[in-house]
Amino acid sequence: MEFAAHVSWEALLQQVLVGLSRTTILFIVASGLSLVLGVLRIPNVFHGSLYMIGAFLAYSVAVFIGGPAGFAVALLAAPLGVALISLIVERGLFCRLYEREHLMLLLFTFAFMLVFSDLVKLVWGSDYRSLSLPPMLQGSFTILNLPFPRYNLFLLLVGPVVAFGLWFLTNKTKIGKIARAASVDREMVGAVGINVSWVFAAVFIIGCFLAGLGGALVAPTQNITQGMDHAIIIQAFLIVIIGGLGNIWGALLGALIFGLTDAIGILILPQFAIVFPYAAVVIVLIFRPTGLLKATW
Amino acid sequence: MRRWMMLAGLFLSLVLVWSVGSALAEKPIKVGIVDCYSGPPSTYTNDVRDAFQLAVDKVNAEGGVLDRKIEFVTRDSKFKVDIGLAAAKELLMREEVDILMGTINSALALAISDLAEKEKIPFFATFSKSDKISGQAGHRYVFQITENTTVAGKAAAAGLAKRPYVKYWIAGDDYEYGHAIAENAWKHLKELKPEVELLGQSWWKLGEPDFTPYITSILSAKPDAVIIATGGAGCVPFLKAAHATGFNKQVPFFMHTATELSTLKPLGLEAPEGVIGTSNYFYYYPETPENQSFVEEFKKAFGREPKVGALYGYITAQLIIEGYKKAGAFDTEKFIDAVEGMDLATPVGKVTLRACDHQAMLPMYMGVTKKVEGYDFLIASDIVTIPAEEIIPSCEEIAKTREAK
Amino acid sequence: MSKGVFSPKTWLLLAAAVACMAVAPQFLSRFYTYLISLVLVTGLLAMSLNLVLGYGGLYQFHHAVFYGVGAYTFALMRVKTGLPSIWAYLAAPVAALLLSLLIGWICVRLSKLYFGMLQISLGSLVWAIVYRWYSFTGGDDGIHGVPIPEALSSIDNAYYFTSAVTLVCLFVMYLIVNSPFGRVFQATRDNPERSEAIGVNVKRQQLVGLMVAGFFAGVAGSLFVTIEGSVFPDMMFWTLSLEILIMCLLGGWFSFFGPMLGAAIVVVLRTVMGIHTEYWTLILGVMLMLLIFFLPEGVLGYFTARWGSRRRAAMEDL
Repeated sequence: MEFAAHVSWEALLQQVLVGLSRTTILFIVASGLSLVLGVLRIPNVFHGSLYMIGAFLAYSVAVFIGGPAGFAVALLAAPLGVALISLIVERGLFCRLYEREHLMLLLFTFAFMLVFSDLVKLVWGSDYRSLSLPPMLQGSFTILNLPFPRYNLFLLLVGPVVAFGLWFLTNKTKIGKIARAASVDREMVGAVGINVSWVFAAVFIIGCFLAGLGGALVAPTQNITQGMDHAIIIQAFLIVIIGGLGNIWGALLGALIFGLTDAIGILILPQFAIVFPYAAVVIVLIFRPTGLLKATW
Repeated sequence: MRRWMMLAGLFLSLVLVWSVGSALAEKPIKVGIVDCYSGPPSTYTNDVRDAFQLAVDKVNAEGGVLDRKIEFVTRDSKFKVDIGLAAAKELLMREEVDILMGTINSALALAISDLAEKEKIPFFATFSKSDKISGQAGHRYVFQITENTTVAGKAAAAGLAKRPYVKYWIAGDDYEYGHAIAENAWKHLKELKPEVELLGQSWWKLGEPDFTPYITSILSAKPDAVIIATGGAGCVPFLKAAHATGFNKQVPFFMHTATELSTLKPLGLEAPEGVIGTSNYFYYYPETPENQSFVEEFKKAFGREPKVGALYGYITAQLIIEGYKKAGAFDTEKFIDAVEGMDLATPVGKVTLRACDHQAMLPMYMGVTKKVEGYDFLIASDIVTIPAEEIIPSCEEIAKTREAK
Repeated sequence: MSKGVFSPKTWLLLAAAVACMAVAPQFLSRFYTYLISLVLVTGLLAMSLNLVLGYGGLYQFHHAVFYGVGAYTFALMRVKTGLPSIWAYLAAPVAALLLSLLIGWICVRLSKLYFGMLQISLGSLVWAIVYRWYSFTGGDDGIHGVPIPEALSSIDNAYYFTSAVTLVCLFVMYLIVNSPFGRVFQATRDNPERSEAIGVNVKRQQLVGLMVAGFFAGVAGSLFVTIEGSVFPDMMFWTLSLEILIMCLLGGWFSFFGPMLGAAIVVVLRTVMGIHTEYWTLILGVMLMLLIFFLPEGVLGYFTARWGSRRRAAMEDL
């Protein structure tokens, strides 16, 4: 059973393209996690639950409205709904816990993950859900004699847009600058009269919005079901770690490493694909103990 | 130190009070179901429970079995072996159930089977597809209702051998179920049709979100046909990816549970056509009065069509009811003697519980996905029935694997 | 506590506790005897994690791996070799210790979250191997019906064995924590820089701590197989590790017995709640939240702190 014999250059290129579109989702989710981790120092385990809720919300909205418009509205409404949930959670609970030990925060967010997973079961039940794409995004193009789904191309376009948006937000807007400053020295920013608490809330909501967006974007390609939270969260954490904690470009780099090692691993050594991402993390951390790019803390 | 002791004492006394309170007097026939009711598998397991309830309610309304009612309790295993095993022990020792059933998780089914053998209590494995349950690890107290991986693989081989494909690719879920189905299918296909050739394999982790990369890598190898050994939650996204990439139009593929309702219904009309799949049950096939009345009753009670799990749950209930009736007494050993070799009139016709390995002899239906007027999702068409005798390993084969252990 | 290991009063209490545990099966039904054994094993596992988490300040995020490796070593020794069971009981902790030496050696160079995530990755690699290696480990099906020595196979006897081993382990852990090594270990948690400055090799200290924790996790693994007769890859999946972490924090990770209490809460809660509702994780989640909000030191930590302060107040009155 040789595998390498079948690896043509076309297939490799194809696989890279597909890997890149997968990277988009991973990047969007991981960048949100990284943002929250970098600025608020919260290892947010229920980030994965928000991703799952985003997918379910997108399904419900799309079914409720129906048609291509429904899909478009769902892509926006689902992350906004998730952002709303996170606003309530942050203002209601988290803003009182910022000074706690990291491990406590980790546990607290894990408690949320437990609660959210049962709530999703209560609200949406146990049947599989599937979100239909509008006709213009269905089907595939043929690139180098191999099919490439249109939706994956759409994802390839969304990725850079989100990345640019995040860059703009953190580097060009006031709130981004304050957030970056606050992540380095919380007291200092507070001392100059800025309400740090609300800056944190804003960052938290943006981070969670990204989780919801990731969930909404992944919904049409996947089985929307309970358990989606488990699958994504560990990946997102590993990506954030190899990229460098709190560094958004690190999240991009980490997602690229993840997406591509996975996609190429499948092509070359499919039977051991399960091991590749973990091995990538181990290798990165052995040589660069604090991640590839500069961590914010 | 002392604080800890006080707390421990408090805890112990609480437990004590609780245990005394639960001691029961006269009791009905009690069945304990351990299964996963959270997460993706629950879409299958809920049907097992509901159909079981349907049959039990019916017999209770008629006065029960030998003047005793049947009662059942459920425990959620969360797809975790340790939780499920502790729950099974709780059912056995605290709830004092007479019969255990359930679990879609093979590791848990094997663990409970081991417990059942030690405790001498019947255990009906409803939905876990490991062929070890009635095969290698089988014993007097365990029964397997669902088809298992050997059967599914053999059925696939039987169906595929009739088709003209030579160059195959195998892909599937990287866990016991996927590998077992693929290996069995390949082994028997090779026997039936020696010229087949395996180009390669791909295995993805359980819960893989996006299958596009696998599909492109399979397509680049240009096989004649592909055997996809994925189960449960993986089916829907795989069919989605197949539809998006037009995989089914370029290469025909077989996927064991592709034609099942739980896979096809969520996809609506967006599922790929022409996918070959096998299943133990369709609510629309066979079109016999028995099946139609079962579907009617199920729909009336639960407001949805029964899926394959419903058949498993229903048959289990029938076995328990008929078993006690035939045994004429509430004695485990007599009950087991009674159900061994028993013939049941089920929604899919006559089914025998084979005496030698306690495997329910269910027929397998192979069909091809198709859009049909009147359904807002794809259904299986051109259904071919593969009788159980053709695909379930013979008693001699079972005896051999048990000896090898 | 300065003279001897315990004061005479503590010895007395300890003897009373042992006596209670010895007679417990006479009064309890089989199920509760089994449940207590399970609590003890899980508690031993949680306490072994707390050696490095609470006392060493190390983010050991994937402790379940060592538990699983202990359990698998035990099961494989029993199934694949004809050696007497004592060898299996010895091999389990040793295998876990060796694995923690290997993983710890790679991880100790990092700190906090990085340490934890690297450990999760390495642990997941081990998990993936166990999960995939069908011919040797039984793959995702696991190994069931592991032969347990005749003398330990009844529920009562398994209970006695488990409690005896757990008590011995706790005693040894207590000695370790209060030994010079334990004190230095805690100093490396509180102030690694200063410890380094006074000549402590912090990394080596941490590595030894990790090995000790791995060793006891391995013991817990072998006890689990004694009770359940099964091993399966879930035992080394990261969700179990998070659960153990919860037990530590729930009970109180700054107190010696806290994790045992946390384990008891989680195990009993999921059994009792599981009888009444499918939604016990929701209840566990809400309980955790309340706890973190109101009792951040954990249940036992809270009580210790309260009693401590009352005792201090009483002392001051004198």
